[in-house]
Amino acid sequence: MQHHQGILYRVALAYCSDDEDRKDLMQEMKLQVWEALPRYKEQAQISTWLYRVALNTALNFYRENKTKAKKKQLFQEDSLRVPFDDSPNREAMLQQLEQFIQELDPLDKALMVLYLEDKSQKEIADILGLSISNISTKVNRIKSRMKKRFTQFNPDPHE
Amino acid sequence: MNDQDLKSLWQSTQVKMDQHGQIAKENQLAIRQLQISHFLHTMKPLKIFTLLMGILWVGIGGKVVLNIFIHAFDQANLFFLFSALIQIALTAIAIAVYIYQLILIYRIDISEPVLATQKKVARLRSSTLWVTKILFLQLPVWTTFYWNESMFDTSNLFLWCIQGMITTIFTVAAVWLFINIRFVNRDKFWFRWIFNGNEWDPILRAMELLHQINQYEESTEA
Repeated sequence: MQHHQGILYRVALAYCSDDEDRKDLMQEMKLQVWEALPRYKEQAQISTWLYRVALNTALNFYRENKTKAKKKQLFQEDSLRVPFDDSPNREAMLQQLEQFIQELDPLDKALMVLYLEDKSQKEIADILGLSISNISTKVNRIKSRMKKRFTQFNPDPHE
Repeated sequence: MNDQDLKSLWQSTQVKMDQHGQIAKENQLAIRQLQISHFLHTMKPLKIFTLLMGILWVGIGGKVVLNIFIHAFDQANLFFLFSALIQIALTAIAIAVYIYQLILIYRIDISEPVLATQKKVARLRSSTLWVTKILFLQLPVWTTFYWNESMFDTSNLFLWCIQGMITTIFTVAAVWLFINIRFVNRDKFWFRWIFNGNEWDPILRAMELLHQINQYEESTEA
């Protein structure tokens, strides 16, 4: 489970900008993973299964609008957001990337997360339940939006 | 910054988390606590209370109406009897639909592909509007249950005109709402006015999400 916490964290990062909401969503995802575990079929890849549970939980969370931050923390997570002390520029870039993802609609967010996780188009298709050609079209569309956004903010001096 | 840089930047979040050792230690006890907390969180007292009151209303009301039908039909005020019957039947249908939806939502497997799962959940959530539509159909019978045969003998024309107008307005409103409470009207003032409040937000979001899923599938198929 700990090995896969990063996946849950990054999915939560895409769907919640608020720290408290993000922690709530992570708790919800952990619970859902725990509860869905008996239904896990070994022929499926564990990461595919985990992304499905995480993204479905995140979308349910979004839909139910659970934005009331709760103070009670069952897991002792002081702060999940880790500053990049050694590289402020990377931190700024990451913030920009997060902001870009936050602005996407809920389904594009899912696609974007999977793309950034470096999942193959086949894996993305398996997780989302779309055909590979559909994924390819969508990914290209979002990539071009992302490229435009990052060029706008960070014009490459070599170009 | 190219695609690969962005991917490694995104994935570096995990690396940093591991390095700082800030990953929470989970154990059985914490999971158990979380399950209890989750269960209590989903049990919204007002909703449960309303549902229980509805079941009680249908149970007691149904028994009374059924008894009148069986044992005292000849002496009964038929306006009251049929109004009550329609009201109780519609409430029972609304409760049954609501409970059926809750069960289906609870049974959905969230480890299935995301779009298919979300489509199922969003469709079920947004169909909660059907409960409201059904309940609105009761409006006219609230204006007829107190009628009785003696009213026809003694009441004057003016009072009957007022009564007829009220019943007609309620009937037209009920049918109109039943037909028009639909996603396409979500931005209309009257729709927002009826479905105003936190309780309705998840339903409206579900409808929005369902719309997005359909668009998503259509746009990628195109």
